Amino acid sequence: MSRRTAISCLLLAILLAGLAAPAAARTRPRYGGTLRIETVGDPWQLPSGIARRLVLDGLTTLDAAGNVRPALATDWQSENAGHRWIFRLRPGVRFHDGSPLTTIAVVASLNASCPSDCPWTSLRASGAAVVFSSDAPMPNLPALLAGDEFLIALTLSSEGKTPTAATGTGPFQVTGFSNGVLSLSANDTCWQGRPFVDTLEIRTRRALSDQRLDLVAGRADVIEVPAEDARQARQQHLLLLASPPVQLLALEIADSGPLANPNLRAAIALAVDRSALANVIFQKEGQVAASLLPQSLSGYAFLFAPERDLARAQQLRGGITPPSLPFRVEGDGALQLAGQRIALNLREAGFPTQLNSAASHPDLVLRILPIEFPAPAATLEQLFRRNDHPDPVEDNPAAEYKAERGFLDRKTVVPLLHLPRVYALSPRVRDLALHADGSLDLANASLEASP
Amino acid sequence: MSLRQKLLLLLSLTVAAAVAAVAWTVLTRIRHVFEQRDQEETALFVSQFQREFQHRSAEVIESIDHLAASERARSMAFEMVQSGDAWPYLKEAQSLAQLAQLDFLEIVGPDGNVVSSAQFPARFGYAEPAAARAGADAFLKREELPDGSAALGLFAVRPIRSAEPAVHLIGGKKLDQSFLADLPAAPGMTIGLYAADAGKDSPALFDPASFYQGGGLVPNAPRYASLIQAARQTGRQTTAILSLGSRGEESASVTAIPLKSNSGAVLAVLTVAISRAGLVAAQQHIRAIAYAVASGGILLAIIFSLWITARVSHPIEQLARAAEEVAEGNWDVHVPERGRDEVAVLARSFNRMTTELTAQRERLVQSERVAAWRELARRLAHELKNPLFPLQITVENLVRARALSPAEFNEVFDESTRTLSMEIANLKTIIGRFSDFSKMPRPQLESVDAAAVVQRVRSLYEPAADAGIVFQTELPRDPMPLSADPELLHRALSNLVLNAIDAMPSGGTLTLSAKPLDTLIEIRVADTGEGLTPEECERLFTPYYTTKQHGTGLGLAVVQSVIADHGGTIAVESAPSRGATFIITLPKAPA
Repeated sequence: MSRRTAISCLLLAILLAGLAAPAAARTRPRYGGTLRIETVGDPWQLPSGIARRLVLDGLTTLDAAGNVRPALATDWQSENAGHRWIFRLRPGVRFHDGSPLTTIAVVASLNASCPSDCPWTSLRASGAAVVFSSDAPMPNLPALLAGDEFLIALTLSSEGKTPTAATGTGPFQVTGFSNGVLSLSANDTCWQGRPFVDTLEIRTRRALSDQRLDLVAGRADVIEVPAEDARQARQQHLLLLASPPVQLLALEIADSGPLANPNLRAAIALAVDRSALANVIFQKEGQVAASLLPQSLSGYAFLFAPERDLARAQQLRGGITPPSLPFRVEGDGALQLAGQRIALNLREAGFPTQLNSAASHPDLVLRILPIEFPAPAATLEQLFRRNDHPDPVEDNPAAEYKAERGFLDRKTVVPLLHLPRVYALSPRVRDLALHADGSLDLANASLEASP
Repeated sequence: MSLRQKLLLLLSLTVAAAVAAVAWTVLTRIRHVFEQRDQEETALFVSQFQREFQHRSAEVIESIDHLAASERARSMAFEMVQSGDAWPYLKEAQSLAQLAQLDFLEIVGPDGNVVSSAQFPARFGYAEPAAARAGADAFLKREELPDGSAALGLFAVRPIRSAEPAVHLIGGKKLDQSFLADLPAAPGMTIGLYAADAGKDSPALFDPASFYQGGGLVPNAPRYASLIQAARQTGRQTTAILSLGSRGEESASVTAIPLKSNSGAVLAVLTVAISRAGLVAAQQHIRAIAYAVASGGILLAIIFSLWITARVSHPIEQLARAAEEVAEGNWDVHVPERGRDEVAVLARSFNRMTTELTAQRERLVQSERVAAWRELARRLAHELKNPLFPLQITVENLVRARALSPAEFNEVFDESTRTLSMEIANLKTIIGRFSDFSKMPRPQLESVDAAAVVQRVRSLYEPAADAGIVFQTELPRDPMPLSADPELLHRALSNLVLNAIDAMPSGGTLTLSAKPLDTLIEIRVADTGEGLTPEECERLFTPYYTTKQHGTGLGLAVVQSVIADHGGTIAVESAPSRGATFIITLPKAPA
């Protein structure tokens, strides 16, 4: 190499270094700032309330691949073929009020969050460990404990008083709630490390149309976008963050009263036109589903055929015309529209319905069920438990398929669509990712510096 | 009913009938006027409704025309036809309907299926036949809604010209409460619209929730059911009087006007109810006046009838009372004679008649009395003549016997004195009978058993009777109480029995019987003698009449007198050669 060549290379290197420096600075997260989030619902509600995972931690957590990772528990082991589990707590973890995380506090929290119908039958503290016991095996307990339902909250402070606000060990702590805005500040002593933003402002119960206006006007950083509006949001060049399918739109059918006959329930399942729901109402943002778990999660969803067969439905009805069936839709917007469409489908099959009936126990309920875990067995077990079918599911595809097939053959839950969660972001939000259940991982998000 | 009452009734009925006739005429006329007014108001409203309907039709057509020509609709139709995708336009109808201020809007794709529906968003993909009416005038249509109900609307269809095959817009406005509220209803007029589907035509399935007026649901809606059903079934305007409440003024004259689709099917019924409160109030007012007039008229009729009575009916009533007295035997009656009218003439004639009757009766009594005396004299002469003749013969024999020897004279004398004594005794008997008849005592009534009286008579006369006479008695076992004087009754029956014995000189059967009737006791005395002729039967109870050679003719007269004094009757049944039966009826003794 000649000297001239060497000098040229040196200059080029300097130039490249100069060009690279700003790029490197832009990818490095910045501490500080207030991230403004808007949500339609209650931030604390189960499941998937947005504030729960920001303030509270579970004993375990799941990575994107569905593997169980340590959280407040550092390790765990099962005994007696899964009938007994021992979780050892992470040392040195403190609640936001400074009180230490103890096994007694963990047991009290879990007892408060799950007073009955729990996966376990007994729970106790044993030194630095929490012991779960059950008469039935609990093969999916570590994964289930990662769910929102079993996040650990302080139930009694060190002074023996009930905390006025939710107190946990998460990356953010509650600082106030006024005018519908929940304020959270960064937990500097979080065992996972301090989050990048200083504060979060969660504006609750905000209408979707107002959220859209706030985002466009720069008054919000993260808003919710219903799946059916995602196409329109893209056309408006909004920055979207969409999850894989993490929600199941399902029709729940009562197996008592006029629909006690399984043939009638099967006829209802055959009458629903899923493609109209997916392609038109949800604007092709949902996936037609005949299984509880999406194909990407279970790998066997293609074995469930989502066919509509009106003639077969009428044949199964066998000339029986049930009375007008109370039909409740839990949700608004596209869900109400889907409910109307299903009512039309059912009327074609000879099932009159009474949409949005005030009946306390409607025969038909249309609702969205969360697919909370990336672990199929744990998800199935949780869905079964929601439908009074608390059978444990072994963690292997054959057992999962068998359990799901058996459950769906009862025709009490008819899967219709798998839907993603979609958020729209302002350009100043950086590094915002989603958890495996589609919730926002705000602890690792940061904000661009103001110009 | 007296003449006074008749007059009162007649006058009252006349007044009431006259008032009722006038009231009925006035009420009929008023009802006719009100009905004519209702018809005119209904006809006026119908024409106004048609104008409002046309006006709304024009509005709908203009809105749809404007919408179909808009750049937004043309772009949408073009992209839809080019891409072949309808799903991105699911919510387009809602925003376009809002833009055009339409209640209903559907976008129908080239295949005739709904792409987007503002009123029923879930109905996408379903066929909409109304799209075939593109270009036609506005029309009525019942539109199904998501909650299962249906709404009536005024629709128009227009194609969006930018694309081939055409995409259609079907838009419309509701015919609802606000539409009804905008209609120009006259005071007292209520406009309703019944828009339930045809399946709810029958009164049993009448849906009150589908029957509304400008201010909400129609009250007492079920009362309209039959009228609405009639209008739907006939397809013609129908009118009826409906009672809309418990009170009369809550009724209304209701006209049901069917609203039809282009195919002629009745989609809804417009009701025009005109309150009859004014008519009912007028009718009630007139009725009240009629009642007052009738009451006054009847009062006047009473006064007038009293006056008429005083002038006319009172003399007639006096005449009637006098006539009744004459009928009862009191002929000495006179009525006042006032005035010169027919009633006065009648009164004078009546007085003359009673005077003549009284005089004639006096003359008759006088002549009867003379006849009675003559008869008495004749009987006395006859009765006394019979014993006098032997007396005369005996006295003459005694005179002639003075010429005989003392022995013969004594023999004649003894025989003559016996004869004289006998005849004198006979004269005494005759005189005693006459004396008894004149001194018939009043009966001393007591309770006696008729059977006992009959048995007593039998036991008295049976032993003394000839052997050829057979006594029979027919008596019931139950007692037969009589209120009678036992001695007089015994005497009467004894007379009958003696007569019966006399009537059977050759023997026969004498039957004594008694039996109770309803309120009477019947006693029969029957013989099997020669019997009586009808003439004898007629005169049998006449005093001094006898069929016997030595009878006085007073026996049966005494019997009749006794029976009459006891409040009873006596009769005879007889025919020649068949015996005679005397039948006595006497009242039973009170229990």
